[in-house]
Amino acid sequence: MSGAELIRGAGLIKRFGGIVANDTVEFAVVEGDLVGLIGPNGSGKTTLINMLTGHLVPDGGDVVLRGRQMRDRPAHVYAAMGVARTFQLTQLFSRMTVLENLLVPGLTRPHSTWQAEVRRAREYLDFLNLAHLEQLHAKNLSGGQQKLLELGRCLMLEPAILFLDEPFAGVHPHLRDELIKRIQELHKAGRTFVVVDHDMESILRVSQRLVVMARGRKIADGPPAEVRADQAVLAAYAGL
Amino acid sequence: MRGLHVYILLAAAALALLFADQLTSYWMHVAIIAMFYGILASSWSLLAGYAGLFSLGHMAFASIGGYASGLLVQWYGIPIPLGMAAGVALCCTLGGLIGWVCLRMSGPYLAIFTLGFAEIVRITFATEDDITSGMAGLHVERLFDTPSRLPYFYTAFGLLAVSLLLMGGIVRSRWGLFLRAIREDEQAASASGVAVARFRILAFAIASGFAGLAGGFYGHYIGILTPSLGGLDLMALLVVMTVIGGMERLPTAVGGAFVVEFLLELLRGYGQWRLPLFGIVLLLTMRFARNGLLTPLWLKFVQLGEPRAAAATAARDVPQKDSAQ
Repeated sequence: MSGAELIRGAGLIKRFGGIVANDTVEFAVVEGDLVGLIGPNGSGKTTLINMLTGHLVPDGGDVVLRGRQMRDRPAHVYAAMGVARTFQLTQLFSRMTVLENLLVPGLTRPHSTWQAEVRRAREYLDFLNLAHLEQLHAKNLSGGQQKLLELGRCLMLEPAILFLDEPFAGVHPHLRDELIKRIQELHKAGRTFVVVDHDMESILRVSQRLVVMARGRKIADGPPAEVRADQAVLAAYAGL
Repeated sequence: MRGLHVYILLAAAALALLFADQLTSYWMHVAIIAMFYGILASSWSLLAGYAGLFSLGHMAFASIGGYASGLLVQWYGIPIPLGMAAGVALCCTLGGLIGWVCLRMSGPYLAIFTLGFAEIVRITFATEDDITSGMAGLHVERLFDTPSRLPYFYTAFGLLAVSLLLMGGIVRSRWGLFLRAIREDEQAASASGVAVARFRILAFAIASGFAGLAGGFYGHYIGILTPSLGGLDLMALLVVMTVIGGMERLPTAVGGAFVVEFLLELLRGYGQWRLPLFGIVLLLTMRFARNGLLTPLWLKFVQLGEPRAAAATAARDVPQKDSAQ
């Protein structure tokens, strides 16, 4: 980890009724990172992302974004400060066109204009191979195309960090490869990513650093090769 | 020729203004009431159709605007337009407050909450005899001191036109895009940087303000206000008008108000049976044409004069395709 710290979850705790979804989790991401966040079902990955993007208020601990304490701040403030995210189950503006889906985040940026944002949105649609679909309603796209569009919506924020929650789930292998390629290109161009997924093969293909969660706790954090050999990780995945 | 529909609408408006005096007093009254409902339907469309906030308190705001203006004019002798402006300001404030209180509500919860609010308003106006004259009705000073309905026709026309221009401006702007994003998915909208709470409150405040404007005009036109203006019956009628016309576009919502209001008069001979008829039309609309019966016609109308290729290019140039044209 070499760049400046972008975001840090400091001792994050989240409970749902009697269940502790996140138990004093420490999680930091620096500029230029490409972090894979893995763990079995119910390990607390999405809860952690929800807290780090302002969609859930922690019961304990705090999120520090570029040195600012973010407790109780709404999600749109995180977005304005360069935090973008996708959702586990794709959440698009279904009855709006592909182009409009990208214009929404674009036009929330200060000093943005329609013309400039339309131009930028078309550039991203070209990059994501969705240009020919710009007037289609988002609900009419295939599952993989919807994942790409959600990524495009994130990019319109020109974010410092992108949290992708299960971007490869249910995606055709061809589109999954395309998605991985795009993530790698964007990372090379300087974007920071946190990618959550169950698909170990895809995660290992993209990530430089692997964080493993189990039962609401972080159990491993380091280079993928090292983490793969970790006994605690193997035990968690074997359900021990 | 792009924008032909705009010229047709302008020509129709000019003809309506020129030949309004040819209407009988009865049909002129029907037209004025249709325009009153037109303001209400379009503002409810802004709230429920664009922002997805299905409020059943819209007629309550019309009632508040009417009573506020009527009482202020009666008590302080202020000019009627000033009374109406005060009614609008009060409705904007109260609407924003209601929007803030029900920030975390949507769907049936929001509908029931706003219905409760509407009933509180109606019962308050009905029981506060000393102030509102209760069910006997509050006598309100009329806008014009003439038995002719023509000045009211022109005023209603002007108010509807200005309301549509202002609301059209909103829905075609980035605010309109954000409201539609909120309707589609609040969580995704906030992740995209949209200040969801602020825009929900704004939508309530703006729509309630227009409802207050319509209510103020209604009071000073009819000359008497009763609590039933804010009742569930008229709210249901407003929903029928907007849904049958098409709630996701301002012009179709207004069209629905006109169609239903005029049909209600034309079918008067059928007595109460015309009301179940509208119920059936509403059911069929929800089943077979959820975007409203007038929406397909409107979409064809706005493409008049545009060759197919040009229409496709226009669609590329105007990203907010779904907004009012």
